Amino acid sequence: MLEIKNLKTSVNNKTILNGVNLKIKAGEVHAIMGPNGSGKSTLANVLSGKNGYEISGDIIFNGKKINETPIDERAQNGIFLAFQYPLEIPGVNTNNFLKTSLNAVRKAKGEKEIDTLNFLKLVKEKSKELGIDEKFLSRQLNVGFSGGEKKKNEILQMKLLEPKISILDETDSGLDIDALRIVADGVNSSKTKENAFLIITHYQRLLDYIKPDFIHVLSDGKIVKTGKSDLGIELEKSGYTNL
Amino acid sequence: MIQNLEINKKNISVEEIKFRENNLKTFNKIGFPNRRQEDWKFTDLSKLIEANFKELKSNKRSLSVYKIEKINDFEHNYIELVDGFLKSSNFKYENKDKISIEEYKENKKINIDYSNSLINLNNALSEGGFSLEILSNYRLNKPLLIYNHFSDNVKNKIINNKNLIILNNDTSLNLVEINSDISEHNFILNNHTHISIGLNSSLKNYNIQKCKSNGFFYKYVKCSLNKNSNYENYIFSSGLKFNKIEEDINIEGEQGNCLINSALFLELDSHQEIKTQINHLKPNCTSHQKIKTVLNKNCKSAYQGKIFVKDIAQKTDAYQLSKALLLDDTSEFNSKPELEIYADDVKCSHGSTSGSINEDSIYYLMTRGISRKKSIELLTKAFLFEVVNSIKDIDIKKLVEKNLDRQIYGL
Repeated sequence: MLEIKNLKTSVNNKTILNGVNLKIKAGEVHAIMGPNGSGKSTLANVLSGKNGYEISGDIIFNGKKINETPIDERAQNGIFLAFQYPLEIPGVNTNNFLKTSLNAVRKAKGEKEIDTLNFLKLVKEKSKELGIDEKFLSRQLNVGFSGGEKKKNEILQMKLLEPKISILDETDSGLDIDALRIVADGVNSSKTKENAFLIITHYQRLLDYIKPDFIHVLSDGKIVKTGKSDLGIELEKSGYTNL
Repeated sequence: MIQNLEINKKNISVEEIKFRENNLKTFNKIGFPNRRQEDWKFTDLSKLIEANFKELKSNKRSLSVYKIEKINDFEHNYIELVDGFLKSSNFKYENKDKISIEEYKENKKINIDYSNSLINLNNALSEGGFSLEILSNYRLNKPLLIYNHFSDNVKNKIINNKNLIILNNDTSLNLVEINSDISEHNFILNNHTHISIGLNSSLKNYNIQKCKSNGFFYKYVKCSLNKNSNYENYIFSSGLKFNKIEEDINIEGEQGNCLINSALFLELDSHQEIKTQINHLKPNCTSHQKIKTVLNKNCKSAYQGKIFVKDIAQKTDAYQLSKALLLDDTSEFNSKPELEIYADDVKCSHGSTSGSINEDSIYYLMTRGISRKKSIELLTKAFLFEVVNSIKDIDIKKLVEKNLDRQIYGL
């Protein structure tokens, strides 16, 4: 589904990713761990299409090279990024934003736009699963939301848009144990044979709930080690320095 | 260029003819305002008029009948003005004994201690407009809409008119002024509105521009507030080629409150300016101003806000804030805040920011499949939302929002 070949990125001539190779197949869950500053968030940003990076190498999604594909088109084609720090956007109503987003994606897929009534029904059902109070949906986007509420809102968006690949950038940071479980359940219940997940995290604790098929360690802009799910536990004990 | 700027001497007193002639003389000496005048430093009206008018005639009363499209969304009273003249009024939701409405008649009691050649021109040539008076102890049940319509007769004309709004003690009025225009031609409106708000009274005044217009509007508002009275003005007049609203407000009684809020979406070569002077003359009064402007493609906008606090006006609470969002680098926004304070126990502040749209916000929205264009539209509306949301009357809020959506999304 997603193949990254020798991906190098730099900002203002400073190299961040230095030859990342990664292959994610449908139905798989991959986790990326690594020390601060190793390039984890950059990888997530680059995959989403964020501007401002010089890129070489290939990002291939569903058989097509997407290096130059704009951000919105990548999202419409099924790449979803759950932000480490979801933005507060005053003046934009959450429900209106969710509906605009869902309809943009549906339209791109050639599906009919959803009307307000059906949308509200759908969003109500999905928020209930995530324990999101409906009141939040009529508030301004992420404004005054707690860290946990913002992260749950990201997962709500993921569940609404039903992407092919979801990249979760430190979704576990700032979550209490209950919220962590809710978010993990949200991810687990979205898993199918057709979609895939790339989970970026610092800690094993999220991976206790979401079992990855592979764990990769990113260090100095490169994947230096790949293993099965027990690699996380090992890292938790010994840290990154011994790698 | 200006032709036939003759004073209509029919049915007016010798004294008034003299008043008009003196004003015309002054105007002819000074001409239209230009950049050399401090109050017009951001707007050279003289040049703009020269560039947009080959000829300019004074407007005459037209006998044509126009059917003005009314708003059906909510119950309201109305006044119809066509090309600046009062055509009809309807106060079916009110006690008619409490309301007086008639064509404006020159009223020498209204002094304008302000020198501005456009006011001279208005004094010299003013015809039409309305006088509205709400008698004591009456609060209108429904809003009053002023349909300010311009026909295709106004091509290359200058309309000079005056309005007078008097709210006697213990009254309240919600006034919505809707400008509409079927003329595709350039024309000028030079309006002077005098407002007097009595004891314990409240006027909420909303300005809406219903469609794009080639009008060049100058509106001078002089307002006086009595004790415990309230004046709120909400300006949503985007769409005109040129618009300058100048407000001169005297808070003459204690516990007087004044609020000026504006949300403007400017595009395609338009030019808008708001200039306010709020004079705090008595203690314990407030004035709040919030001006938000979005500029899209080759627009110019300015906000000049002055707060004056007299030595006895202790416990004044006044602020002015202007925020501009420039969608590209072809537009220009100027701001000139002024505070002149002679009392020592007051709270006064001003702030002004202008900048471009937040790219991180666009990025976030685009990662959700929303196109760049749509993202900018959403963020533009979000920027202006704060002002729209400050409207408490739900019907009027909906009307304003609908109008703003039309401007932003082209609906």
